[in-house]
Amino acid sequence: MAGNILEVRNLTKSFGGLKAVNDLTFDVKEGELLGIAGPNGSGKSTLFNVMTKIPFGPTGGEVVFGNQRIDRMPPHRIAALGLARTFQKDAEFPDLSARETVALAAVYGRKLSRAGAMAATEEQLHAVQFDPARADMPTTELSVFDRKQLMIASALVMQPRVLMLDEPASGLTRPEITALDALLCKIAASGVTIMLIEHVLSLLLSVAQRLIVLNQGSLLAEGDPQTVIKNPAVVEAYLGGRAA
Amino acid sequence: MTRASLLFGGLLVLAVIPLFVQDSYTRHLFILAFIYAVIASNWDLSLGYAGLFNFGHLVFFATGVYTVAIAAKTLGISPWLAIPMSGVTAAIAGLIVSAPVARLKGIYVVLVTFAFGQLVLQLILSQSHLTGGAEGMVRIPYLQIGDYKFISDFKLGYYYVALGLLIVSTLYLLWVTNSTFGKSLLAVRDNEDYARARGIWITRQRVLVLTLSAIFPGVAGGFFAAYLRVASPEVLSFGTLSLALSMVLIGGAGTIIGPIIAAFLLIFATEAMAGIRGMEDARFLIVAIGMILVLRFAPGGLAQLVRAPRKKP
Repeated sequence: MAGNILEVRNLTKSFGGLKAVNDLTFDVKEGELLGIAGPNGSGKSTLFNVMTKIPFGPTGGEVVFGNQRIDRMPPHRIAALGLARTFQKDAEFPDLSARETVALAAVYGRKLSRAGAMAATEEQLHAVQFDPARADMPTTELSVFDRKQLMIASALVMQPRVLMLDEPASGLTRPEITALDALLCKIAASGVTIMLIEHVLSLLLSVAQRLIVLNQGSLLAEGDPQTVIKNPAVVEAYLGGRAA
Repeated sequence: MTRASLLFGGLLVLAVIPLFVQDSYTRHLFILAFIYAVIASNWDLSLGYAGLFNFGHLVFFATGVYTVAIAAKTLGISPWLAIPMSGVTAAIAGLIVSAPVARLKGIYVVLVTFAFGQLVLQLILSQSHLTGGAEGMVRIPYLQIGDYKFISDFKLGYYYVALGLLIVSTLYLLWVTNSTFGKSLLAVRDNEDYARARGIWITRQRVLVLTLSAIFPGVAGGFFAAYLRVASPEVLSFGTLSLALSMVLIGGAGTIIGPIIAAFLLIFATEAMAGIRGMEDARFLIVAIGMILVLRFAPGGLAQLVRAPRKKP
C-alpha cells in the first residue's frame, strides 16, 4: 500500500471570528486521485490556499509534504518542492503567450535552462493536447478550455509530485469535460498524485479514487466516492433540509 | 513598424544628426534628451515591467552625479573611470532601497521610495564638506582624450558619448526584457499569486529589478556631472522627477522604446516653449496636461501608436 505523500494536521485558517478551515486533518496517499467536494463556501479553495500559502498561509496546524513540514516555507519553495496548483478562476499572464507561460514555469518551478525549458514546454503542451497554432497567442485571446489546459500544462511542466486542481471543469462544455476527464486519467496514470476540487460531480465521481467532503471548513465525510456521496450528512450539506 | 526597425532607423538618424546640426545649443538639447532617455527607459524597467510604483529612481541618477563629482574632483580619479563607478554606486543604492520595497505593494512602494529620495536629498544637503551642500559642486573635471576636449567642436565628443550610452543602455534593456527574467517581471506584475505558484520568488525579482534598473541611470548621472561640470541637489527636485516620470507615462510604461521617444519630445518641446514669451513657467503645466490627456485617451502611451500587433494564427 502506498504511503502518505501529504499529511494535513489540525489545519486552521481564521478570518477574524470566521474559521474558513477548521481543524482539518487528513492524508493524501502517493499516486492517488483524491476528490474534494463540498457546498459553496465550505473552504475547499481556502484549503488549497493555505496549503500552498498562496495568497495566505494557515493560522494553525501543519502540512507535511514528503518528510518536510511546508507550512513555514515561502510559496515559491513549496512550488519548487513539487506541490503545483491551479486556480479556480482563470489565472493568466496577459502579456505572455501560452508558450512563454509554460516556459516560465519550467525555468522557475523546475530550474531548467532556457533551452531545456523550451523543449519541456513543447513536450508538455503536446501532452495536454494544446493546439500548437495557438501557442504564441496572448493568453487573453485563448478560449476557456485553452486556458484550463494551459494552467494544467504550466503546473505539469514543473514535474510536480502533487497536482492540486481547483475546479478545472468550471465553464467547460460537456465534450470539453470529457476531454478533461481523459486528461486527468492520463496524468494520474503517469504517477502524479492529484487533489481535485470539483463541482461537476459526474467528473469527480468518474475519476476520484477517494473523496473528502468539507462543510463550513470542517471534514464532513471521507472514503469511497460512491459511498460518501450517499452519506446522509453529505446529502444534507449539499441540499439542505429537503434531503433530510 | 516593428520595434527593431524603429530603433535601427532612429539610431541611424541620431548618428548622422551632427553632420547637419552644428550649433552647440541644439546639440546640448540632444545630449540632455539622451541622458533623460536613459533615465526614463530604465525607470520603465522597474515601473512598467515590474509594476513597482517606484518614485525614487532619480536617486540613482543623483548617486551617479555625486559619485563622479566626488571621485573626479575630490579624489582626483579620471572621469573615464569615475563614470563606470557611478553605475556601481547606483546599483548599490538600488540594492539598499530594494530591501524595504521588495515586500511592499502599491502606495507603500510610492511612499518608501519617495521618502528614500528625500533622505538622500537631506544627506546631500547636510554633508556639505563632501557634497557642497545646497550650493553643490562646480568645476568637475571634464572628459578629454589627450589634448582633445569633448566640449570642443560644438560638443561633438559629448554628443557621441551620450548617444553611445543610450545605445548600450537600450540594448541592455532589450536583453533584460526579452530574457526569462524579463518575462517573469511581467508575470509578477500581472498576477502575483500565479507567479508564486509557478516557483517565482517575487522578493528576489524585485530586488534584482531595482538593482538592475539603477545601473544606467547612475552612469547617466556620472556622465551628466562630467558634461555640465556641476553636481547640484537640483537633480533631486520635484520638477526633475515629474519631467522624467512624464516621459515614462507619456511614452508608455512597459515598452522601453516609448519613454525614449517621449524623452526627445519633452526635452525639445519644453525647451521650445521656454523660448516663447510668457511660457517659461507654463511649459511644465502643459506637460502635465499632456500627460493627463495621454493617460486618458491612450493609456498605453505613445508606444501604443507604433507598437506592432501581436502575431495571430
